Amino acid sequence: MTPTELTQRLRDRVLLLDGGLGSYFIAMGLEQGRAPEAWNLEHPEQVIEVHRRYVDAGSDIIQTNSFGASPPKLAASGLEGRCAELNLAAVELARKAAGASALVAGNIGPTGRFLAPMGDATEEQLEEALREQASALARAGVDLISIETMYDLREALAAVRAARDTGLAVLCSMTFELRPRGVFTIMGNRLVPSLQALRDAGATAAGLNCTVTSDAMLTMVEQTREQASLAPVVAQPNAGQPIATPSGIKYDADPDRFAADIGRMLRAGARVVGGCCGTDDAFIRATRRAIDTMVSADG
Amino acid sequence: MSDLFRELGQHLYDGDAPGVIELTRKAIEQGLDAREILNAGLLPGMERVGRDFKDGELFIPEVIVAARAMHAGIELLKPLLARGAGPASRKIALGTVKGDLHDIGKKLVGIMMQGAGFEVIDLGHDVPPERFVEVVSTLKPDLIGMSALLSTTMPMMKNTIEAIRAAGLSGKVKILVGGAPITQAWADEIGADGFAPDAVGAVECARRLL
Ligand code: B1M
Ligand SMILES: [Zn+2]
Repeated sequence: MTPTELTQRLRDRVLLLDGGLGSYFIAMGLEQGRAPEAWNLEHPEQVIEVHRRYVDAGSDIIQTNSFGASPPKLAASGLEGRCAELNLAAVELARKAAGASALVAGNIGPTGRFLAPMGDATEEQLEEALREQASALARAGVDLISIETMYDLREALAAVRAARDTGLAVLCSMTFELRPRGVFTIMGNRLVPSLQALRDAGATAAGLNCTVTSDAMLTMVEQTREQASLAPVVAQPNAGQPIATPSGIKYDADPDRFAADIGRMLRAGARVVGGCCGTDDAFIRATRRAIDTMVSADG
Repeated sequence: MSDLFRELGQHLYDGDAPGVIELTRKAIEQGLDAREILNAGLLPGMERVGRDFKDGELFIPEVIVAARAMHAGIELLKPLLARGAGPASRKIALGTVKGDLHDIGKKLVGIMMQGAGFEVIDLGHDVPPERFVEVVSTLKPDLIGMSALLSTTMPMMKNTIEAIRAAGLSGKVKILVGGAPITQAWADEIGADGFAPDAVGAVECARRLL
């Protein structure tokens, strides 16, 4: 799907992404500290099963299990040199689950390497690494590329440049916190200028994901409302905050409240929505209902 | 003199390592006590960084750069601190638990511990329980400090304590835990010896335990 085609489609309708993959895998037995991408080869049927839940819940776009499948991130989890192989497997599994019902977005996350002054990586190095992953996803036949959870605008821009050059449509979300002085990434990048920079670099749609709950993300999305050049906006909040209990991790949000907040985000200009950490098919199903009710009410 | 300390704290806050080195040298040359240079100059600067980060005034790059400047200052003071009347040199091994890559807070704890005269072994981040066990049996630290920043890695502290216990080493070492989501109640639940909410508290707690 080209950028123009996605832009066209978003003019006509809202697109629903999927929710988190990680918490499903942990519940299915993924060990602490193990890279979820390894499951593309070791437990393909489980990966398909999770994707399928989201397709059944009504996702228009599902995202491949390749968030950590850039070469530097794989090297850090003991999977050095397996970028092409793991991304290809990720796409095949998502495609199997999607069938003709959903689009497949090749998912890209941060490399885990830091630019100065935090670390010694250069923007060129990161772009090259991300380019390797983006091309692997494109070669494997994804419909579009989704970049998520970026916290340093410089790395996010490197990812957008790498993804854009595949010719596919690109979604790019960064993760922001609400601070007394405004909305920032942990590196100090401000919300509106960041989204503008991502769009200028070639993202078909830019937005926010992870870190915050739906009510906080609604406040953030509302700040993009006056900025026509940012539309369409992407929004994928977490399912509340993680709480450690003796029996495991719990998230405290309620699917219907989450979906209601998403409804408000759509009114504030979001066009691509979904869930991040802690969300499951119940959240996506509730969000599907909220979108469909809005469409029938409006139309 | 207090002007010199104030200036030192400001250069540290600004993350100006060369400035911190120069002023620390100057203070040493003036014959000021190393402990006082640390306590009245460097530490207040770093505490202000921590506070302003919490309040949303500073971001991660500023915290990192300030921590580096603090480290540069401590390196100059270390030989003098070792000679002073600090706590009898005790060994502390610090690490962020397995699955967790957050190491900024743990580094600050290490810097403060060094400043307080402890010998610090930094095990890095993503440290598996087996590695902690190995360190306890081979390097024989007096205290193990574990850091976790994710709710999802908090349980790894429990696994690590259990591994140390299973190896029959629990009487040999004190265990201190910390990190943003950690509470005293959690420390009690997993059987840690101590908990500290921040780096200054970690030093106090280590002193109390040893
Ligand atoms: C031994 O005894 C002791 C005693 C005291 C001890 C101690 C040990 N250890 C610490 N202390 C205490 O003393 C220190 C000094 O006063 C204090 O240490 P702190 O570490 O608390 O404070 C530091 C000085 C400064 N604080 C920090 O350094 C953490 C800051 C925030 C912004 C943060 C950062 C920087 C990062 N992150 Co992460 N990150 C966040 C944080 C949100 C925030 N605004 O706080 C948090 C912790 N991260 C989070 C998440 C979810 C994640 N992060 C991730 C990644 C990262 C970066 C790599 C980008 C980066 C870490 C870089 C690095 N080298 O450390 C991912 C996980 C990676 C992994 N496997 O670990 C990822 C999962 C994001 C994602 N979706 O990919 C959240 C955790 C939520 C939760 N409760 O579980 C989070 C609260 C952000 C949020 N609001 O959602 C005290 O806690
Ligand atoms: Zn998330």
